[in-house]
Amino acid sequence: MQKTITEPNLRLLIDTLVSEGKRVIGPKAAGTMTLYEPLSQGEELNLGELPRRSAKEAFFPLCETILTYERDKEGVRVTDVDPQAIPETVLVAARPCDVAAAPVLDSVFSWDFKDEFFLERRRKTTIIGLACARADDACFCTAVGLSPGDTKGSDLFLAPLTDGGYRCDAITEKGEALLAAHADLFSDAATAEPLPLAEPTLGKLDLEKIRQWLDTHFEDPLWEEIAARCAGCGACAFLCPACHCFDIVDEGGEEKGARRKSWDACGFGKFTNHASGHNPRDVQPSRYRNRIMHKFKYYVDKFDQRLCTGCGRCVRACPVGIDIATVLEEINSK
Amino acid sequence: MTNTAQTIDLSLYAAVTEAVQAEARKVLEAGIVAAVVGWQAGRRKGTALPAIVTDPAKAKELIFSPACVNNLALYLTKAKKEIRAKGKIAIVAKGCDLKALVGLMGENQLKREDIHIIGVVCPGVQGANADRAQPLSETTIAGKCRECTVHTPEGADVTVGTLPQLPHFTPAESEELARLEAMTPAERWGFWKEHFSRCIRCYACRQVCPFCYCEQCLCDRNRPQAVESTPRPAGNMAWHIVRAMHLAGRCAGCAECERACPMDIPLNLLNRKMAKELKELYGFEAGFEVKEKGPLAQYREDDDQSFIK
Repeated sequence: MQKTITEPNLRLLIDTLVSEGKRVIGPKAAGTMTLYEPLSQGEELNLGELPRRSAKEAFFPLCETILTYERDKEGVRVTDVDPQAIPETVLVAARPCDVAAAPVLDSVFSWDFKDEFFLERRRKTTIIGLACARADDACFCTAVGLSPGDTKGSDLFLAPLTDGGYRCDAITEKGEALLAAHADLFSDAATAEPLPLAEPTLGKLDLEKIRQWLDTHFEDPLWEEIAARCAGCGACAFLCPACHCFDIVDEGGEEKGARRKSWDACGFGKFTNHASGHNPRDVQPSRYRNRIMHKFKYYVDKFDQRLCTGCGRCVRACPVGIDIATVLEEINSK
Repeated sequence: MTNTAQTIDLSLYAAVTEAVQAEARKVLEAGIVAAVVGWQAGRRKGTALPAIVTDPAKAKELIFSPACVNNLALYLTKAKKEIRAKGKIAIVAKGCDLKALVGLMGENQLKREDIHIIGVVCPGVQGANADRAQPLSETTIAGKCRECTVHTPEGADVTVGTLPQLPHFTPAESEELARLEAMTPAERWGFWKEHFSRCIRCYACRQVCPFCYCEQCLCDRNRPQAVESTPRPAGNMAWHIVRAMHLAGRCAGCAECERACPMDIPLNLLNRKMAKELKELYGFEAGFEVKEKGPLAQYREDDDQSFIK
């Protein structure tokens, strides 16, 4: 189903959803940057800038408590956090490169173990994607087979129009339901043209060729060449919409505390440290190799999907200037 | 004052680039060093990244530009053992970076004779979120460079470049520090609490710091856990306080932690404040002279004890 919505009505839609008790997450100004954060009113929606962190937090928060414990006179009480308490959510104005990662993450979180926290959030979230009209020199979604107008993962998809409004395409039943429930805010006729899509400059990569090269080049001087400079921080993984490693720790004291799940990164030196003290990925190049292998080979082999949507956040954030697009181009040229 | 007076003349960077390439080729060809740590151009216009060059033919890839933001001293620390294992290393150093090399020598992490320092005269580098299409000016230059006192490194094996006339920039960091110092403790606590609430514990601040070379960081300990590792208020606050205390009197002021922070936490303000305290209490400052022990690593009878209540 296709409709249109004006920008004031889009903001009004957010107000309405909030008043219905839904959690609405969207780009919001946060100090020197924009972040995907809960919106308390439509006015807070900031459409101008790519949020610094990806939208994966809507399903996979930076940190979440999964159980709590407390000791009283009767003993120790352990309480599971109930995933059912997760509220109905609408993720609004999320970029295609962020949204496309959601179905990719579904594969790993519903594989041999069903992560009920992630899956419950996914079930309860309706995603309103927003086409990109602007790209910077770090963007490379088209190089990895997506596009600034890609609807992958979106329930409802907005395309900016020349008159300032948006064309809305319902992609899934969830999207149809949202349109139907708020029909008064949408109109039928699209009188204006869609704005031209952003044009990332990086050429299309041969992803199958890259996978094949990775298949046979676990050992290669390239890894040392690229990654000796890697500082081993987690900025790339933390900002990535598709990276999903996490750690589970118990924090607290004798009387009370919690078991928490929070982001982790394969670039960290201790990530693969064994209890014996042995670390199979003992130097940074082998950790960086794992990052590339996981994104473009292991995940493809296992789930037939790639763990990269070309958002460019890792490129922008890397403190030592490692550019994953350059790495891919180099492998592609071999 | 015109706009042009407020921008930096870029011709120096090209001259320094040529000189760095020539010196790198020379020391590699002569076998004086096994590798040169410098910067090379990135794919995106106006970007650069650290380069570890071992082949003299690749010396021509080295550059110096306002994008050469990294403090390369990082690559000579224990955290990067594999690079040191190559043998004697040449390193390209800006003044602020040279202070870190000197600090590492003072901490017995480096021996002067094991490195060959190619000092570069540096008018400044671009700020973390600067628009790279704009010239290097008051709005795009890194905060630390606005009030830099070490444009010309001292004590390098060779120093290249001649400093051009520089515009006068407002010392924004000092002003911000003065603003913080004028706050009440409660207001300051509020200021840092808000900033630290954004910390995602990616540890980019630690990983780019030449002085964070510990093989076992206290904050990675989990048997037992010393500092909460999840990105929540308690652990974030503890992490940043632990870091500031560990760096007090050691930090060379390269501000890499602040530049690397993807959450824009003004970490260099904390470092500057600690450095100021150390100067006031112990008359100690990170500089170009190798000192055996910093004030917090030794005890002297005449140490200031006024803060012990």
